[in-house]
Amino acid sequence: MKYESWYWLPALAAPLVISMPGAYAVTYLTVEQAQQALFPGASEFSRLDIELTARQKKAIEERADVRVRNTKPAIWRVAAEGRQLGWFLVDRVLGKHEFITYAVALDTQGAVRGVEILEYRETHGGAVRKARWRAQFVGKGAEDRLELGRGIVNIAGATLSCKHVTEGIRRLIATFEEVLK
Amino acid sequence: MRVVVQAARPSSHRTQHVRARPLLGTIVEIAASGPSAVTAVERAFDAVTEVHRLMSYHDPESELSVLNREAAFGRVTVSSHTWTVLKTAQVLAKKTGGLFDITVAPALTSLGYLPRRTDFPRASGHGDWRHVELSPGFGVRFTRRVRIDLGGIAKGYAVDRAVEVLEEHGISTASVNAGGDLRVLGRDQRAVYVRRPSAPSELWPLIQITTGAAATSADYFRLRRWCGRRVTPLIHPRSRKPCPSGRSVTVLARDCMIADALTKVVHADPAEAGATLAAHSACALIVEETEGVCRFSVFDAADGRRWRETELLPVPAGQKVAG
Repeated sequence: MKYESWYWLPALAAPLVISMPGAYAVTYLTVEQAQQALFPGASEFSRLDIELTARQKKAIEERADVRVRNTKPAIWRVAAEGRQLGWFLVDRVLGKHEFITYAVALDTQGAVRGVEILEYRETHGGAVRKARWRAQFVGKGAEDRLELGRGIVNIAGATLSCKHVTEGIRRLIATFEEVLK
Repeated sequence: MRVVVQAARPSSHRTQHVRARPLLGTIVEIAASGPSAVTAVERAFDAVTEVHRLMSYHDPESELSVLNREAAFGRVTVSSHTWTVLKTAQVLAKKTGGLFDITVAPALTSLGYLPRRTDFPRASGHGDWRHVELSPGFGVRFTRRVRIDLGGIAKGYAVDRAVEVLEEHGISTASVNAGGDLRVLGRDQRAVYVRRPSAPSELWPLIQITTGAAATSADYFRLRRWCGRRVTPLIHPRSRKPCPSGRSVTVLARDCMIADALTKVVHADPAEAGATLAAHSACALIVEETEGVCRFSVFDAADGRRWRETELLPVPAGQKVAG
């Protein structure tokens, strides 16, 4: 690697830092894309209309040791040519700093086949801040730059925790055990 | 400013395949462009999953758990991956005189950052990195009852592995980010941002890189209260006490494993870390914030590879700086 190939940004070299009140969000996959990614080849995704009863909610909470806030879980039964392949579940968690939508694929036995993050959003800020942030970069190529800043991709931040996603997955597995099995 | 804006231009015009999954206790994002991007990203995630499986402290089945359970009582053979990470950790520990130390696990457990593991033998209070013995043929033995955690280095290795796999699949433009451990590949200039310690939602553009790694360690997402004090998961290896909080350290280096590990060394002792940074041709930036005033210390080649302090003033939000 050539070390000339990276350099401090002018902003930093000339004692000046652009602060970006960043409300940023990134969408990795839509629900449909995630269905195809986690169950390639599946043809039927039928959304179940489930509302958890108080008893089921309590049972899931006890089993997973996580609170259940949404009593209408988004669950799809997945099949190909009439044969069931498993279940597809979408859930979202609100962490301290972030808002994450994710999808979990379970096989017919309830084992996790895959997990994909669908959407990640920092919860700070909002439309106003975002507009202000964008205003800092008017000019040539501003859109490109915004693109770069919006993902997690180029942020060398401190470790973001995925604790809430892990808890969420546990909750979905418990939901399978209580409701779908 | 114009340079930055224009330089950042090319990448978004190409179709990029980007996926994120919860792994390594964080969110791992892999982006690649090119005809084989879909398969390559999938295989890169497999590589990260493998590192996760081998080196997780939480998983009783991981090689790391086997080491913590058995290596104090005899030689344990590990995989080449775990070996590589242990070897790098030990070389760095030796070079820094113990400023990097993988045996701080008991301190992390007592602060609540790592779970209590009853299946591990009770840790001796007098062991450190010198009591982890590596022997040819991927053998590991603890000469005292130490307990190791690879949290300070394995994430960087996982990122390097992912990049390696992407390259094997013919990918030339890619980036892998495991919650702050970042490595990019390709010819495009990309701006890398860091978070402001006191307000992590504020992002600062830090550097332009084409190929290379950047790792940031800070505590703003992980501060805890412990016995009435605010503590951080960054443990000073010599005192075994938490490092001062409110500090963010970014290291730029050739590969991500080294960058990740060096952030811990800088946190422990910036002055002493200088020699090691220079030896790895690495650059570093410390952001410290006290009462709203940020202090920046930069370590790079520009000034004969030593620390220099710069007072930097953030531009008030809303002010136009580009164009």
